[in-house]
Amino acid sequence: MIRMNGVSWRRERKEGTPALSNLSFEVPQGGFRWLLGPSGAGKTSLLSLLHVENLPTDGTLCLLDKDVTTQTPRALLVRLRQRIGMVHQDFRLMPDLSVADNVALPLRLQHRPEDEITDEVHAILKWVGLGDRIGVRASRLSGGEQQRTAIARAIVHRPGLILADEPTNALEEPQAHKLLDLFGELSSMGTTVIVATHNEALIRRLPRPALMLERGRLVQDGT
Amino acid sequence: MALPFSGRKDGLSLSEALPDRSLFILVAMMSFLAALTLTGATGARTLSTRWAGGAAQLLTIQVSEPDQPVAGASKTDKTAPQTRADAVLTDLAALPAGTQVHRLTQEELARLLTPWLGDAGKTALPLPAVIEVRLAEGHEAPLDLEQALEAHVSGTVVEHNAEWSSRLRALAESLLACAALALATVGGIATMITALATRAGLSTRRDIIEILHGLGATDSYIAGRFAWRTGGLALGGALLGTLLAMAPLLLLFRMAAPFAASTLQATSTAMPDWRTLPDLLPGDMLAGLAALPFVAAFIGWATTQFMVRVWLRRMP
Ligand SMILES: Nc1ncnc2c1ncn2[C@@H]1O[C@H](COP(=O)(O)OP(=O)(O)OP(=O)(O)O)[C@@H](O)[C@H]1O
Ligand SMILES: [Mg+2]
Repeated sequence: MIRMNGVSWRRERKEGTPALSNLSFEVPQGGFRWLLGPSGAGKTSLLSLLHVENLPTDGTLCLLDKDVTTQTPRALLVRLRQRIGMVHQDFRLMPDLSVADNVALPLRLQHRPEDEITDEVHAILKWVGLGDRIGVRASRLSGGEQQRTAIARAIVHRPGLILADEPTNALEEPQAHKLLDLFGELSSMGTTVIVATHNEALIRRLPRPALMLERGRLVQDGT
Repeated sequence: MALPFSGRKDGLSLSEALPDRSLFILVAMMSFLAALTLTGATGARTLSTRWAGGAAQLLTIQVSEPDQPVAGASKTDKTAPQTRADAVLTDLAALPAGTQVHRLTQEELARLLTPWLGDAGKTALPLPAVIEVRLAEGHEAPLDLEQALEAHVSGTVVEHNAEWSSRLRALAESLLACAALALATVGGIATMITALATRAGLSTRRDIIEILHGLGATDSYIAGRFAWRTGGLALGGALLGTLLAMAPLLLLFRMAAPFAASTLQATSTAMPDWRTLPDLLPGDMLAGLAALPFVAAFIGWATTQFMVRVWLRRMP
């Protein structure tokens, strides 16, 4: 689950209004939330806090039953990150690694047996429709293929929290719907899911509570 | 299908994504330079210590008309008259214990003179006797040696190497200073270039470090993977550079070998055989050359560890 209480976040060395100010909301374990708001509202910034890429400047954040503050030991933050699956807006694949090696990264970081990794990676790539692109270098993929690789990497290790930043903007409608159905299913199986999007049609397909941001402030907290 | 599913057990199969091979080339070139400098410095030291050390103890004595009887000796001595050369040798026996006295044989003389006189053995030129005196360590020839010998056997010339040995020593010392300076400079530059090349290679991979961090890799894991990779590249590059430097080095040492010799007997215009060459190379130089790749590897490894950890520290 996620609990934020009065969280503000300011970029390093950046004065003035913080990128996020005074956010308070709660998402139970297994909850699904849309993350909405105009471009520049702070959706990616909020996800970076939930992914522990950045720490709150003010307020308290509790993620997967762990308090995240500047005092939290690094080792704990590392373990927390391993339990989160993140689909970045810009994918962030390793360009020189194959699709399969990219998707295998979270499993290898957890030191899973290699034969188990092979099975999992092949299964998930087949599911996202990349079964025939397994050995291709990530830098040679189309935008949609990169996005599907990034999605596969975010869910392959069955994280307790999935964060997706516009995960369907490079996908065709059937693929987007298939992905959304998977997210809904994972959430009903106990995974917390947050999906940032601009896509109205998608929201209509899976009506769930929304967190709405506007200029760094929460105008709708999903209750 | 450019890359297969690597299935590597040890980590993340990152070798494709890690700092590239330009580091390898740079380190190879730097090690080549460092190896040459190291050898130059060692060579300078070897030559200068032998010259400066050997010259002080070395005397060369020439006795003209060596086989003539000593003037004045035959009048009082009824036995077989002593030759001038033998007389000098007898006098030299009074030098401090440990002194080596050696009269060059006809063959040795001939070999020395061949470059100037051709086949000297067959010339009718009257050759002087050449006596080489090597004093024991710490001893110097008595100051009046030349007068004493001259009084006994007139026309005896003592070549005091000690006089120019002090100049040689000064020369040797400045040579050594230059060599040390060159070694320090090249060592410093090599260290910096290796560190900079490592840095440049890493900065293009910074996004990868961030991705790994985001996926939940520990600092020590990321730094370790990158450090072993750069360390390995630096090791390979330095190994190549050092090996390439060995060819000119061996050639140089082979040519320098005759000059490094300190006694006349050992002096020979011939270069040593290739097979005996390793015995002539100073042990500490070989050790230095052998250490070079490991030093380069360590520089690459340590720079990477440091830089990657500094970057990671900026992220939570
Ligand atoms: N690297 C950065 N340095 C400085 N400011 C930034 C940086 N990235 C984003 N910002 C600013 O922070 C604010 C929030 O950006 P953020 O990326 O979180 O918006 P967003 O809601 O994700 O927008 P979009 O829908 O376009 O992805 C914006 O005003 C943006 O200009
Ligand atoms: Mg965004």
